[in-house]
Amino acid sequence: MDQVADNLTDLSETQLDIFERQIAGKYMNIVPWGAVAWGIGNCLVFVSIIPLVLMNILPLWIGFIMSTLCIMLAYLPSHEAQHNIIAGRGKPLRWLNELVGHVSTIPLIFPYRVLRATHMEHHQHTNDPEKDCDIDLHAKSSVHYFLQALINQQPGSERAGAYGRCLERTNQSHLITDAVLMQSAFLIIMFTMALSGHAIEAALLWWIPQIIGQVYLEYYLGWAPHHPGHEAGRYRDTRAFKSRFGNIVSMGMQYHIIHHLYPRIPLSLTPAAYRALKPVLIQRGCDLGDL
Amino acid sequence: MNYLIGILLAPLTFAICFLWPLITQASVALEMIEAGWPAIVLGAAIALPFGLMAQLRGSWLWIK
Repeated sequence: MDQVADNLTDLSETQLDIFERQIAGKYMNIVPWGAVAWGIGNCLVFVSIIPLVLMNILPLWIGFIMSTLCIMLAYLPSHEAQHNIIAGRGKPLRWLNELVGHVSTIPLIFPYRVLRATHMEHHQHTNDPEKDCDIDLHAKSSVHYFLQALINQQPGSERAGAYGRCLERTNQSHLITDAVLMQSAFLIIMFTMALSGHAIEAALLWWIPQIIGQVYLEYYLGWAPHHPGHEAGRYRDTRAFKSRFGNIVSMGMQYHIIHHLYPRIPLSLTPAAYRALKPVLIQRGCDLGDL
Repeated sequence: MNYLIGILLAPLTFAICFLWPLITQASVALEMIEAGWPAIVLGAAIALPFGLMAQLRGSWLWIK
């Protein structure tokens, strides 16, 4: 295989395709047990924070930091489940795939089925101004992204209705019920806490961390790997990039191009898959930044 | 049912049921104002205009 990698320019398009898939195949069909423990454990930690603070066992400021971190960490395990990486349909561990998917996004107040349906549309129509439901996350620069994030948080923004419109367009409007139920439950908890004298705890342990977490997640999962987001096509609609804050802070998204090419590769294996596939990606003309 | 859910999810409801008590309790906790009616009035004076703006204009910050 090393010999083949040295002579990629000599390969036909079909041979290059086969070579690429052979390499990628080595990183697929592996159950990411770390993501399973992460998704369920993170949610358990999150739901314990509010009671611990209200019982004066945990200081509020520590609870705020922990809640913010939990919410930042809430999406990616569900993302593995959305792509059936833990277990596909009909597999013995399918129930675990769905459990992780549903449970891990509770802190984010986003229902799993909505995220899965809209994320599949994002993969299918990446950077399409009409059909990519994450197109509102595009911005000219990272500074502009944060200004745009302020607007995206407003109830009448284009972003606020993006997933609803996507579900209607794909005839999956019934999933909006999941979002309404989840949002209603969140608001009832917030209102109950606020009206019973615990508004500051509600704000610092869920409301504000949720806003911070969402902006952070959308920066690294939505904006950074798709910037500038002008091109479509398998090898051009996303990119690799070198984050100045490293791979953990950027949530593994430096290697997002691997995820778009092979969504069944677990997040933890995308760096290794990237290194193995890099000569092919260069040959394909991908944007690999400084990575 | 849809009507009730619409009310629950409305920005003005969020302002009345969450922001108003939040501002009231935070202003007392930060010792900006004494507890009781002054803090309640301050909470309403800040939360309700923001809630109305979010409800009518679709933005908490005017910008859209």
